[in-house]
Amino acid sequence: MSEQPTSILLIEDNSGDADLVRLRLVEGKSVVDVNRVERLADGLASLSKQSPTVVLLDLNLPDSRGAETFRKILEKAPGVPVVILSGQDDEALAIKAVHQGVQDYLVKGDFNGKQLERTMRYAVERQALLRSLEMSRKQQLEFKNQFLSHVSHELRTPLTCIHQYVSLMLDGLAGPVSPEQRDHLGTIAKSVNQLHAMIRDLLEATRAESGKLRVEPRCLTICELIQQAVAMMQATAQEKEVGLEIGVDTRIPFVHADPDRVLEVLINLIDNGIKFTPPGGSVIIKACLVEADADMVYVSVTDTGRGISPEAKALIFERLYQDPDSVDNNRSGLGLGLYITKELINLHGGRIWVASELGHGSTFTFTLPLYSLAKLLAPAIVHEGCLRDAIVLVRVELVPRSNPPRGNWKETCLQSLELLRRCVYLDKDLVLPALGGGPRESFFVVASTDLERAEIMMTRIRGQLGRSEELQALGEVKVSATAVPLPSQPSDTPVEALVQQVADRVTEMITLTLARERGGSGETSPNSDAKQS
Amino acid sequence: MQKSKILIVDDDPNLRKALKLRLRADNYDTVQASDGYSALAVAQKERPDLIILDLGLPAGDGFVVLERFQNSDSLSQVPVIVLTARDPQGNEKRALEAGATAFFQKPVDNGELLEVVRASVQPQQGPGTTLPS
Repeated sequence: MSEQPTSILLIEDNSGDADLVRLRLVEGKSVVDVNRVERLADGLASLSKQSPTVVLLDLNLPDSRGAETFRKILEKAPGVPVVILSGQDDEALAIKAVHQGVQDYLVKGDFNGKQLERTMRYAVERQALLRSLEMSRKQQLEFKNQFLSHVSHELRTPLTCIHQYVSLMLDGLAGPVSPEQRDHLGTIAKSVNQLHAMIRDLLEATRAESGKLRVEPRCLTICELIQQAVAMMQATAQEKEVGLEIGVDTRIPFVHADPDRVLEVLINLIDNGIKFTPPGGSVIIKACLVEADADMVYVSVTDTGRGISPEAKALIFERLYQDPDSVDNNRSGLGLGLYITKELINLHGGRIWVASELGHGSTFTFTLPLYSLAKLLAPAIVHEGCLRDAIVLVRVELVPRSNPPRGNWKETCLQSLELLRRCVYLDKDLVLPALGGGPRESFFVVASTDLERAEIMMTRIRGQLGRSEELQALGEVKVSATAVPLPSQPSDTPVEALVQQVADRVTEMITLTLARERGGSGETSPNSDAKQS
Repeated sequence: MQKSKILIVDDDPNLRKALKLRLRADNYDTVQASDGYSALAVAQKERPDLIILDLGLPAGDGFVVLERFQNSDSLSQVPVIVLTARDPQGNEKRALEAGATAFFQKPVDNGELLEVVRASVQPQQGPGTTLPS
């Protein structure tokens, strides 16, 4: 350190004290460059411009006093070593400062040049050590995450093999299976699934930790997702003789969330609820709106289990937390479920919390944002700060061949919506959710394109949906497109307002189309695609 | 009616065999390839009705293979189901945009896979199904 000039930022309002420090620095014979300021604000400004080797800081300045002074400096320049120049009477405060990240302190008038030099040198070296520790911690974390990610992927390959051959045998494709063999194979299959779930959790947690967890929000009806989750968990609940109940407010508008992720969250919470509820108890899933928080939907999962202790409550969303009192010895998870759940909800812009009373069950509640067409349209129809040149509303109508529809029409329609999502460009087209009731299903796509080019998308849609055997057997597909009239774009209109106008027009177009059809129900033209207008 | 033919591209011979047994039980013929390079050759020669494609392949990453299929006159119409140990995040969208019909992560639920296989292999004479070219 002594070879290169040491730059010192001296923040000291008392000229006498400042001169004394300068004197001691000369005594120490080190090559120093002192920049002295009298006020904290000037010190902070200087730190913004450049980092000195060390800061010598008086705590009582004209514009700041005591602990506030060093906190502001540490916050501004966390990597720069700070040495406090303390008075005789505030040594206690200086010691406190050292606990909070200041490197050292000197009592004014009580140090010589050598001591000052040594104090600064050690401060600098300790700070460098801290920096390298932090760097190596980051590297280790990165290494660990890469390692876990790699291992998880590699584990999947043999796991897939086990899974495939077990299911071949279970399905009798490798010869007859005795009941006992079937039983054993069932156990293997179950374990494979557990292992798979653990690998998935491990990857998800790793991703959450390194900020790589992603959600793809869409417009969805929360009631349907809850019903889906309950249907999927019914067998588990029945096995344990736990009842599953749903209580949803059907007036809940669309929710803007990633359906797969929300399903994952619901299943995790319901599964936990079942696990900790004794036979005869129940798990209740509710969704409702709360007046005080109008932009969100509230979803809760309540069980009649044994509840969670206050200590456990504080830790329950932490990584690797597992209930130490769990009577369930056959632990089937890594203790990552609620951690991932919390991360997923946070990514949606929601919150999750738990209320519980020991012996009386627990309620996990999470919130998700409600759907706003304008908000969703923005990323698709705004490009480089301007509205796209042309926007088209594409309608895909699925008309059942018979009324009431045969087979699993609803499921087929949902699958078609999935297929439809694969026909669009996710960055500039938006697939709206299924709208309205009745056997006819209408899907809408807001596409950032003109009518001519929309033809390509429509062909793709007809092709994809045409390949779905089920859909072809049960119904017909009609695809049409209409241009969305765009608002003129005077330079002073904020783009958000323009997006809102487009959103309003799209809503109006959809509402009118559907209303017209409900009114004039007589006309049916089943065999031709609707003309584009 | 002639059996539909499915090309299985995967570098794990055990998995290829398992898939073959599974598909054979569903009355499909199968052909196999173990790397990206031979996948193209086998596909050109055998003209499969459907391709099940792994992404992590020796001699040509799955995405490269997928692109080659799409650029080939004789293969661009053949549906491709991607079946990979890789993560859906990032890969699913990329695969679908590159022309894949479906994306499955290993281990796959056989019921789901077969459902997509059935839906993707075009029926030889479907009633009233006129597909746009």
